[in-house]
Amino acid sequence: MKLRIYILFFLALTIACNKNLNTIPQNSLTADQIKTAGDVEALLFGAYSQLQSAGAFGESFILTPDLLASDSQVVFVGTFQDYQAVQHKTIKADNIIPQNAWGVGYSIINLCNTIIDKINLVGPADRPTIEGEALFLRGTTYLQLVGLFAKPWSDGNAAANLGLPLVLKPTYSYDSSAAGKPARATVRQTYAQIVADLTGAAAMLPASNNDFRADAYCAHAMLSRAYLNMGRYADAASQADTVIGSKNFSLTSYDKTFNTDGNSTEDIFAIQQNTQSNAGTANNGLTTFYSPYETGGRGDAQVSPLYAGVFDDANDLRMAFVSPGSSNSGFTGDYTDKWAKFFKAIPVIRLSEMYLTRGEACLRSGTPPGADPLKDINTVRQRAGAAPLTVVGIGDFIEERFRELAFEGDRLPTLRRIRADIAGLDYDNDKLVLPIPRTEIQANRNLVQNPGYN
Amino acid sequence: MFFLISPRQKFQLLTGSLMRKFHCVLWSLLFYWCPASAQTQQVSGKILDGKDKSPLSGVTVNARGTRAAVVSGPDGSFSLPVSPKATALHFSCIGYDDQDITLSAGNQNEPLTVLLSSSQKALNEVMVVGYGKAAKRDITGSMSRLDARAVENYPAPSFESAIQGKAPGVVIQSGSGKLGQAIQVNIRGISSLSASSQPLYVVDGLPVTTTSLSDGLNEPTNPLTDINPNDIESIDILKDASAAAIYGARAANGVVLITTKKGKNSRKTLFELNTSTGISNPARTRHFLDAGQYLALARQASATDGAYDFNNDISGFPSVDSAVKWYWANDYLPAYDNFALGTDWQNAAVNTDWQGMSFHRNAASHQINLSASGGNDKTRFFISGFYNKQDAIVINNSFTRYGGRFNIDHNATDRLVFGVNLAVDRSQLNKVTNDNEFSTPGQLVAELPFAPAIDPSTGLPNPNPLYPSGIYDALYDFDHQTTYRTLGNAYANLTILPTLSFRSEVGADILSLNEFLFRGKESQDGAGVGKGQTVTAQSTSINTNNYFTYTPRIADDHRLNAVIGMSYLQNDRSQTNAQGQNYPSDAIKNLSGATNITSASTVGDRYTFLSYFLRANYSYKNRYLLTASIRTDGSSRFSSDHRYGWFPAASAGWIISEEAFMKHSPVSLLKLRASIGLTGNSEIGENQFQSLYSVTNYPNLPGFAPQQLASNRLRWERTAQADIGLEFGLWKNRVTGEVDYYHKHTTDLLLQTSIPATTGYYQFLPASTTIYENLGKMNNAGFEISVASQNLTGEFKWTTSLTLGYNKNRVGDLHGQVVTTGDGLQRAVEGQPIGSWYMQKFLGVDPANGDALYADANGKPTDDYTGQAALFTVGKYAPDYTAGLTNTVSFKGFDLSVFFYAVTGNKLFNSAGKYMSDGFANSNYDNQTTDMLNAWKTPGQKTDVPRAGLSITPDGYSFATGGGTSTRWLYDGKYIRLKNLTAGYSLPRATATALKLSSIRVYIMATNLLTWTKYPSDPEVSTLFNGTGLPSGSTSGGVDFYTIPQPRTFTLGLNVKF
Repeated sequence: MKLRIYILFFLALTIACNKNLNTIPQNSLTADQIKTAGDVEALLFGAYSQLQSAGAFGESFILTPDLLASDSQVVFVGTFQDYQAVQHKTIKADNIIPQNAWGVGYSIINLCNTIIDKINLVGPADRPTIEGEALFLRGTTYLQLVGLFAKPWSDGNAAANLGLPLVLKPTYSYDSSAAGKPARATVRQTYAQIVADLTGAAAMLPASNNDFRADAYCAHAMLSRAYLNMGRYADAASQADTVIGSKNFSLTSYDKTFNTDGNSTEDIFAIQQNTQSNAGTANNGLTTFYSPYETGGRGDAQVSPLYAGVFDDANDLRMAFVSPGSSNSGFTGDYTDKWAKFFKAIPVIRLSEMYLTRGEACLRSGTPPGADPLKDINTVRQRAGAAPLTVVGIGDFIEERFRELAFEGDRLPTLRRIRADIAGLDYDNDKLVLPIPRTEIQANRNLVQNPGYN
Repeated sequence: MFFLISPRQKFQLLTGSLMRKFHCVLWSLLFYWCPASAQTQQVSGKILDGKDKSPLSGVTVNARGTRAAVVSGPDGSFSLPVSPKATALHFSCIGYDDQDITLSAGNQNEPLTVLLSSSQKALNEVMVVGYGKAAKRDITGSMSRLDARAVENYPAPSFESAIQGKAPGVVIQSGSGKLGQAIQVNIRGISSLSASSQPLYVVDGLPVTTTSLSDGLNEPTNPLTDINPNDIESIDILKDASAAAIYGARAANGVVLITTKKGKNSRKTLFELNTSTGISNPARTRHFLDAGQYLALARQASATDGAYDFNNDISGFPSVDSAVKWYWANDYLPAYDNFALGTDWQNAAVNTDWQGMSFHRNAASHQINLSASGGNDKTRFFISGFYNKQDAIVINNSFTRYGGRFNIDHNATDRLVFGVNLAVDRSQLNKVTNDNEFSTPGQLVAELPFAPAIDPSTGLPNPNPLYPSGIYDALYDFDHQTTYRTLGNAYANLTILPTLSFRSEVGADILSLNEFLFRGKESQDGAGVGKGQTVTAQSTSINTNNYFTYTPRIADDHRLNAVIGMSYLQNDRSQTNAQGQNYPSDAIKNLSGATNITSASTVGDRYTFLSYFLRANYSYKNRYLLTASIRTDGSSRFSSDHRYGWFPAASAGWIISEEAFMKHSPVSLLKLRASIGLTGNSEIGENQFQSLYSVTNYPNLPGFAPQQLASNRLRWERTAQADIGLEFGLWKNRVTGEVDYYHKHTTDLLLQTSIPATTGYYQFLPASTTIYENLGKMNNAGFEISVASQNLTGEFKWTTSLTLGYNKNRVGDLHGQVVTTGDGLQRAVEGQPIGSWYMQKFLGVDPANGDALYADANGKPTDDYTGQAALFTVGKYAPDYTAGLTNTVSFKGFDLSVFFYAVTGNKLFNSAGKYMSDGFANSNYDNQTTDMLNAWKTPGQKTDVPRAGLSITPDGYSFATGGGTSTRWLYDGKYIRLKNLTAGYSLPRATATALKLSSIRVYIMATNLLTWTKYPSDPEVSTLFNGTGLPSGSTSGGVDFYTIPQPRTFTLGLNVKF
């Protein structure tokens, strides 16, 4: 019967089509495709890429603390209301800036956790380096986040103040139970984790690494920052001393320190960018905000007219490290040259900071191990063309940091650790702490919001 | 030639057939030929249209009292053997009244001539349903049908704009006056949150691609612009579950079936020429300050700034005067000096109408369509060619399209019909940047009115405008999108047995798009280096439908029609996107001229659907109707464990007017119908059930990073819908109408839910950490009314038709999830309508100091925006009621049609209000709307506009007021619009004949002629890019952000048939 032929045709078509319902993603990997040492290394490189994001060192980890501590350094003149709110300390819990920093930060942390979880796929020769890098990136990220989302260590309640949720295991599938919704650890517990991660990293990492990846000195340098925040000056000094003593890094002329392709000679750790891989050129990225409209930026973050007042020597090259320009909403002013060019390296931690940290920490701890605070500060000053000091006090180090490390995200942690007022607010004012993103509070009932936000 | 059936034939025949002229031809081939038996007598004759005497094919003729039946051939002739038992012949055909001719000795030997008159039962028209056709009277689902006249010659690139307000329950929102942008169509409300809420479009049986393939950083474009509206014969919209469930998995948002024009069996070839030309201008615009007004406002602002500072002792000025002077000299003057380009701005020497510069005055449009159609017994064809070119009202935006269509049907044998529908076209869309870019012409309104647009010293655009001037971009930049589309399908219909036919369709929708963007060095977007981008995308859908249709004859009073079949759809999409910059010169615009390729990527996706369906229609005594259908769909979008979904539907109808007790009432039609069923939605994109890692490109270190976390339990979103409807006709259908009530309940919403970012799966754009889950419910309920009335018949004709739709949307249980747009201003929250506005309530102005007042948590006024002002739910963007009213009159050769459209119940938010109507409060110098002239000036003054001023103190802080997002810029969105007014004149037939034409008509058409609204600009706007830069699905809508208004178009057209 002909009918049978049609029915057979019909069935054949049906069977042929059924197997086509399995389609394979063409643009992404599925989780079960990660199974070699190369794949684990690729995850690590993914973490570096996240570190470059505008939610991390590409913008937020550096610009946000500077906007918060902006009374005499940075003035935000742009139209983006969320950024204005950070400068004016009128942040709300749905502000995009904390959301990006928190979200990207935990993306890095999860990647590091994944690498550590899968470290056995890596051969023994490469294992310490890769694990060390993962620990360094995790510790560094927690350090940046605790600086933004928690009260400072210096307010004396580190054991009670809430720090960060400490996520140390990777997420492969979503756990909607309480276990998938971590609560916040205390500031003390958070710092303990940071110190553990960075100490572990320093022990595992090699003395030098390829492609501007982290080496042991990056971990030591970051550790010196953590100790400085914690008031452990002797430890901070010793870590900085290790870095300086390595002689792996050298100060260069101030204008060769920034906007470099690859690390400058004094970059201990820097984020790399190029035309295809960068933190943003239109609505995000340090250069987008700090570079004037005339050179392709938005020109939203201007140098405050008060900034010149911090300099004590008219010949200081750092005072002149600005250019005039205007924002794309029409405000004219000066712009720092530190972030003038797109697609260049972003210094995260530089050798000059190590000199300033070692000098100040030695001076404070009173037990300088054969070090000379005056020499340290003058090393930094003379490189910038400023006259050397003859005597040095703690205040000189603080002011030198404002001159040397301006627009690099150092001002907020520095003011907080010395308990100085910030933009007319107490150093531990609630308004200087970013809110936990509202979406995060809504998705995780175990999180407690920072005071002053809802 | 004739077809006939022997009474001994084992299978029984369909009686009381369902079809009109053309359709009958097709179906006639289902019948099997076999020789007549000897004892009977042969009766033959010809069936003609009662009006124009043209032969009618496909008329079912059966001999009463016997099972003998035959269908008339293409020339209208029939012949059938009649046994002595037969008493009469019964003639029936869709679109015509049934007729009985009594058999007597006298007429049995003569060839009969039977005249059938067109049915007065208006609702007997044939409608296209999924995988078949049916008479409207037999349909038990809810559908709307629009014919060619609704969409012909409408001055818009795609047909959706033309049917706005014509089908109740179908809400169409064209977003802006830009050409070629995506259009939102919602049938019976929005039933999904994260998955698509747009209907499925099917052209001649082939589901077509409606997803935009163009550059993802601009507004999506509309692939339906590739369908020439003048080729459309009819649009059938399947609204309830009974009608739509045969498209099962993809039907939750309704289905739009488009049928293109087909050739008819005609004695001569019919030619038709349509041509028109038109001009467009904005329908409504805002009022902005001129130079003098602006400077007066700025002076006033510095005065109130100074007074506020002094009175509150903020900066320690010694006097009010010194404070005012300081504010003027520091906050305002330097910027104005900077932007005035050396002109005498203090005296408003220049007064630039920037808004005017964003528009293309009297934007022209032209279109020409030529078609030929005809055919004979064996072959019928429709051929058309078209060209149209249209400029948008906004500069740098235009649309050009040309192409053709070729539809052919051929009767190869008595049992086999096959045919091809094929359309090819090329369209070019020249686009402007999205509403969120400084370079969009819409943002020119922000520029300072005292600044010259053209630098007098160079003749070039002002090199130092307040914002990157869109004029530069208009001069040096372009974005050309070229689409080639081939839409075609072939079918074969084979009559296996008289009661059983098999139809196989194979179709392809091949869309190839090439978009090239160039940003010259001189423009802001070119950033001094020049940028280029090319996007090449292909989408290929292959579809096959194969189904059996079984129409047994059971007994005279019983009719059954069953369809069983399968369908497979496979879509492959690929896109290559490359960007480069650093052009040595603007002379070379191709990417080969870019010395630095900044990115290049290729992506691809495939999705497949495999479906089986079964549908049965049963009717008893032509008045009790039952339909049941079931479809199962498998999709690549779900894991193999949850791949298949089942979608059943059932409906019943009762044609009360057929009952004996109604025979003599003025009610000519009364039909009650009810349906219930389930449809599905899987429009969430590909691979959402898999956890994925994406590639990262850190310099020299290629890597992976988490991209999405997934639930592998993901399954179909399901919408259950119940519908009850009443169709009526009064006084021989002088008045007809339809009323429907429906309730849609969506469960297992495919919801993009927020999960903690601590999982590590954060997405930077849009800023969120989400996972797709089947979570939550959504309800839509509403009613639809349509009434058509022939008020006057005779020489002076007047008809009125009214459509009214009401929909109430409620978000159901979302397990505590709150879905918000990127800017947080719109939300989907349990118990509230989707897209509810959520913001601070603006209460007015403190007369004492001009501060903006907001409601605190208790509703009390407060001036503390950041601290005390509370967030409230304040309306929604989707309308409650939409209505359309058409009046048509004709007298002799004159005709006039007037169509009003109205919506109510919605709120519109001007997201750009925080810049254009903030009184400089957000530290901006933007030009302001004229209502800002009412800004508070003196203590005690009562006004609703807060104190103006940048209010930036010597310390760099601002005490400006009223700049925060609030209901200050939220407006009632209701409007009534005279959408369309058409007046035409047809030359008398004698004149036309003298010109050797069959008809000739000239007309003028005006669209968006008049509008009544409280909204200060065009109320028909909805940007797809709000302040946060990315579209946010169904939760977002009704946002105006420098959005281009709708055009007001005047068209002069000519229609000639010969």
